[in-house]
Amino acid sequence: MRHSWWRWLILVVVIVAVFIPSQAWLSKRISQYKSDYRTPLNPIIMVPGSSASQDRFDTLITQLRQETKVPHSVLKVKVMEDGQLSYTGSIKRGDNQPFIVIAFENNRDGYSNIVKQAAWLDLAFKDLAKTYRFNHFSALGHSNGGLALSLFMEDYLPKIKSVTADKLMTIATPYNMETDSTTEQTPILKDLINGRKNLPKKLVVYSVAGSETYSSDGTVPANSVNQGKYVFQNQVAHYTQITVTGDNTTHSDLPQNRQIVLLIRQYILQEVLPAKDRYTPPTKQSRNASSDPGETGLP
Amino acid sequence: MRVLWRFNQRINQWRAMRAITEALRVAYPFLLVMALLDFFGQGWLTKTGFFYQIYHVKQWLPAVDLWQQLIQAISIVINGLVAVMVAFTTGHYLARTYQSDALAVGMTSALAFLTLNVNYLALGDPNRNSATGPSQFLEGNLGPQGIFLAIVVGLAVGWGASHLMKVLGRWWLAHRQTPLSWTGRIAIPLSLILLVTVSVGYALSWLNTGGLNTLVYLSFQALNTNLGHHGLRILAVTAMSNGLWWLGLIGPIDVAGNSSVTSLQNLAYAVQHGSGWGAPHPITLHTLGDAYANFGGAGMTLALLIAIGIGSHQARYRRVAGQTLLPNLVNLNEATLLGLPVLFNPILLIPFVIAPAVNIAVAWTAISWKLVPPIVYPVPRTTPGPLVAFLGTGGDWRALALSLLCLVLSVLIYLPFVRLLNLEGGADHAA
Repeated sequence: MRHSWWRWLILVVVIVAVFIPSQAWLSKRISQYKSDYRTPLNPIIMVPGSSASQDRFDTLITQLRQETKVPHSVLKVKVMEDGQLSYTGSIKRGDNQPFIVIAFENNRDGYSNIVKQAAWLDLAFKDLAKTYRFNHFSALGHSNGGLALSLFMEDYLPKIKSVTADKLMTIATPYNMETDSTTEQTPILKDLINGRKNLPKKLVVYSVAGSETYSSDGTVPANSVNQGKYVFQNQVAHYTQITVTGDNTTHSDLPQNRQIVLLIRQYILQEVLPAKDRYTPPTKQSRNASSDPGETGLP
Repeated sequence: MRVLWRFNQRINQWRAMRAITEALRVAYPFLLVMALLDFFGQGWLTKTGFFYQIYHVKQWLPAVDLWQQLIQAISIVINGLVAVMVAFTTGHYLARTYQSDALAVGMTSALAFLTLNVNYLALGDPNRNSATGPSQFLEGNLGPQGIFLAIVVGLAVGWGASHLMKVLGRWWLAHRQTPLSWTGRIAIPLSLILLVTVSVGYALSWLNTGGLNTLVYLSFQALNTNLGHHGLRILAVTAMSNGLWWLGLIGPIDVAGNSSVTSLQNLAYAVQHGSGWGAPHPITLHTLGDAYANFGGAGMTLALLIAIGIGSHQARYRRVAGQTLLPNLVNLNEATLLGLPVLFNPILLIPFVIAPAVNIAVAWTAISWKLVPPIVYPVPRTTPGPLVAFLGTGGDWRALALSLLCLVLSVLIYLPFVRLLNLEGGADHAA
């Protein structure tokens, strides 16, 4: 017992040396759990193109409900020019994959309008995230709606720390507006390319084009859809381009095109489709997907 | 207490009990080395280790993987074969008491134990000898899990082989008029015993795929699934689990379960609401047993070590307690269980079962009365026991206070029994 005082000292030092770092570790872990946690609610946000109202996706939604046999509920939000939001419909309790359609009172085409629409989209999105408390979502944009969504993901989403985007599917979105040229860049494409570093790194993007003739779906030039690669390729986790031909491939028919409905079911709703309906992409542009198993090894 | 002491003395007279104690004593140094290596391997060098995480070992230790693999290699050899060692030492010691060929009997019992754990289902497999084929032994059963079976086999073979050799020698001498050669005296019992154990092992392989051991384990594991929220059932299962540990059936009921559905639901709740208050499953085996009744591993052995430090005069006990303190801090208590030994020690059985039960009851009361929140965040398995609840609740001081209370209670429960053991051995063993 001669040296009992330094034994106690060692004990105290050891306890402190374990206790304090474990505190630091703990707070880091908890914030990590918070950021990794995914709410069961996983809405699919749909944005219609120019000149279309919040009812634009009704046919698509009816089709999806019939085929999936899941009564996905639908909430429609219309954003007025002064930023007022008007809601119709509701998200039913227990429905973890509701559709939320966000449309704009000013739904005109043109660069300045689309930039404004992205801001309005942000307004509606923040309100939704606050009300329904989801922390991840997928998005579906038709035509210029895809442009508004892409702008939103670059300029606004990074500022909303609590929410991450899982998947984005754009249908016939003209990344280079009506231009058929492969060299000339319209202002919106320039904006998107300049801001591409802000895109969520884990986002998975599908760009679907329709083709009536060999170069266009009747409204949007195929080359304009193709320009999307300069925005997404090597920025997001995966960027896949798909071209659909055959019946119902004119620009405005695309959202209810049977093939595209199947693509939505497979990629956005993540259903396991029967083999005959499944689409396997012939080529896939992918960056190294983050496949770190993380902390799954914990007991 | 006096009755208990007399009972203990009576039991220690038994040849089998002495053989077990002696066998475990011989195995102890090997286990101690293993436990100390495991302390570093599991606590400091693996990704899920407590110290690895809090000290960010990966960032300052060069070649972490290499260290880890070195320790793993030693671990496979010692820890992976500890049951074989125990089978050998048990048979060896028992044979020595019968004045038989101790070494030969020990080896026979080790081999007999191995035959029970051959992967019989793989025998017909054409890939058996290739690198990717099935393993030839049920390797899981050769480690600490298999200690109980090893003891049983060691006793049976130690007794059987010794007698067989004697009878055979006498019979040979009577009928052939020449003494049986040493080789014959070993080879014939060996063949007979292996024949018996192989048939038993083979027959069992028809029943289930994991050998005799798995049969026992499966029957107890069934109890563990869907324990539910009933405090009493949790209490009963933990008590039984600890009783089985005491027999050397190590870990049939896997107490540490961060990943069960209820734990995940609790975690999801805590992440959304910021704390564990009001979590959907406050009373589970995990929130009670792992958090408050598993300091040092099953049976609150950390408290046992402290009790020995306070109240034991036995030099050997104090030595073992000091040597196994570090592994016990990270909940690796096999060396303590086999070294003291706690296993098959009737006096220590009582606190070994009661201390965790009392802790669970206390924690159960505290959580039901909403004095502390349940643990919700996963913590590494090698977290020092008294910190599990504190870290698991996200740093709740009340949980830490409860942990310390549980530790003190357990030490108090262990103390009288440790003092009782001071009587053992008389003056020559005393410090």
